[in-house]
Amino acid sequence: MTAEELYAKFAAQFPKVQKASVEVKGSPAYATLRLNSPAELEPVIEWLKGLGFTYLDIVTATDYKGPIDVKGFVMDPNPNAFLPEGATPQIEAPTATPNYPYREAFELEYCLTYLEEKIKVFLKLDVPRDGGKVPSLVKHFPAADWQERETLDLYGIGFEGHPNPTKILTPDFIKGYPLRKDYVHTPDQFD
Amino acid sequence: MTETTTASPVEYLKTDELFVNLGPQHPSTHGVLRVGLTIKGEVITKAVPDVGYLHRGTEKLAEVRGYHHCVVLTDRWDYVSAMPNNLVFCLAAEKIMNLQVPERAQYLRTIMCEMNRIASHLLFFGTYGIDIGAFTPFLYAFREREMVLDLFEMLCGARLTYNYIRLGGVMMDTPPEWIDKTKEFLDYFKPRLDEYDTLLTYNPIFMDRTQTVGLIPKDTAIAWGLSGPNLRGSGVNYDARVFEPYAAYDKVKFDVPVGKTGSCWDRYFCRVAEMRQSVSIVEQCLKLMQPGDFAAKGVAKVPKPPPGESYAHVEGSRGNLGIYLVSDGGQSPFRLHVRAPSFINLAILQDMLVGQKMADVIAILGSIDIVLGEVDR
Repeated sequence: MTAEELYAKFAAQFPKVQKASVEVKGSPAYATLRLNSPAELEPVIEWLKGLGFTYLDIVTATDYKGPIDVKGFVMDPNPNAFLPEGATPQIEAPTATPNYPYREAFELEYCLTYLEEKIKVFLKLDVPRDGGKVPSLVKHFPAADWQERETLDLYGIGFEGHPNPTKILTPDFIKGYPLRKDYVHTPDQFD
Repeated sequence: MTETTTASPVEYLKTDELFVNLGPQHPSTHGVLRVGLTIKGEVITKAVPDVGYLHRGTEKLAEVRGYHHCVVLTDRWDYVSAMPNNLVFCLAAEKIMNLQVPERAQYLRTIMCEMNRIASHLLFFGTYGIDIGAFTPFLYAFREREMVLDLFEMLCGARLTYNYIRLGGVMMDTPPEWIDKTKEFLDYFKPRLDEYDTLLTYNPIFMDRTQTVGLIPKDTAIAWGLSGPNLRGSGVNYDARVFEPYAAYDKVKFDVPVGKTGSCWDRYFCRVAEMRQSVSIVEQCLKLMQPGDFAAKGVAKVPKPPPGESYAHVEGSRGNLGIYLVSDGGQSPFRLHVRAPSFINLAILQDMLVGQKMADVIAILGSIDIVLGEVDR
């Protein structure tokens, strides 16, 4: 199966699910699709699983709010603080790129693999930044368990129906969700 | 043991559910992993792995660093085999920047990843022996591992965090005598693999201890997203080197060892068999490699890739290591996500340990072969 054949199958089964405007580069065997609403996620996943996409690679998210707030870092954000001036090009604090489609949303990314056909499909789904919720995939893929917990821990996206929606990586006293672009570190007992 | 004073002798002897803390400071957890075990008699009824003690937020740190600086961060994930980490980030960044890597650099990358796989599997071989109760293999494994690390030290000055594979190629070409020394090592190493087999692999005590515990059926392994020797031990032939050849893997011939039952022994055996394949890959690469450039020309000092997204995955020593990279056109990655194989492999522990005996916990945990730096990132 090639990516084009997969797009054709999708168009026949889910006419609303469109090929994403920004494709994931890497291999000709990567297909990228954009879902319109969280309600579409489970039917699409079930259908893909029936088709042979039995391996869940990644579950993650991206915050598209804009350039990162450097106040989110405890340390001095200048990575070349010890180098003399002009020794190595300095990296400036990230700034907004003109015309880049920043938006007030998290984009969830799912990647599934068809092991025999050597094809990967990337699903993208926008959820609102405040109180965004998506159905959990743990009952379809146990592999989603910890990855969804990680996304919950770092972004604060709710996964409905997750058996154990708790923090996994950050300590309990950390307030906020560190991978959000507007995260600001609250001083704790270690500062 | 609660309220035992008033209980009758029969009740006193009754088995209660008991909570046992394994780790975070425990020699057999290979780092700072805590597992909360609930046991009834000898049988585990619930296992809750607790990770995150080593979380450094490298995905966040990457968002204020340039692309060249990010390679340094990648070394700190799986510090036991850092070359594949360097490689996967460079592959993802090169895809987004459309960089072409010279052929010699491709071979050098392949050689380093395979040498690192040998070093990493030797660490597994040694420590898994200790976990099971065989101390001797550790000494032999570390003797050989030192040699690989010495070769790396000669190559790039570092023994663990190499920062050798860079955007567009590698840091520098091999020193003149490096290739001869590597050939010497490989000739020395090949007979050692047979020694390992007599020492541990086909040792009847070791086989009895590991062949019946920690069984992962094929479907379970796929559903939990296992990768690397853990998946292949269950009989699933999924290897990123074959699935989507990168570097020079399409130019060399090798087998992918696959297990049968998915027991601890099968996972162990896949790793030991992989070392033989790695030796063969390095030998083929050394034969095929021609003089040439070791890095692409004209890689920007401060790369600003065009907006876009890319995904790259390699077969690291622990499994399928992937990078999802988003660029918004700035100097730093807009988003860097690591598909860390140790993290995803470890998740099955909560399912796998239930119903197993307390004495088998370490044998099972050791056979998954995690590095906590990669679990927590």
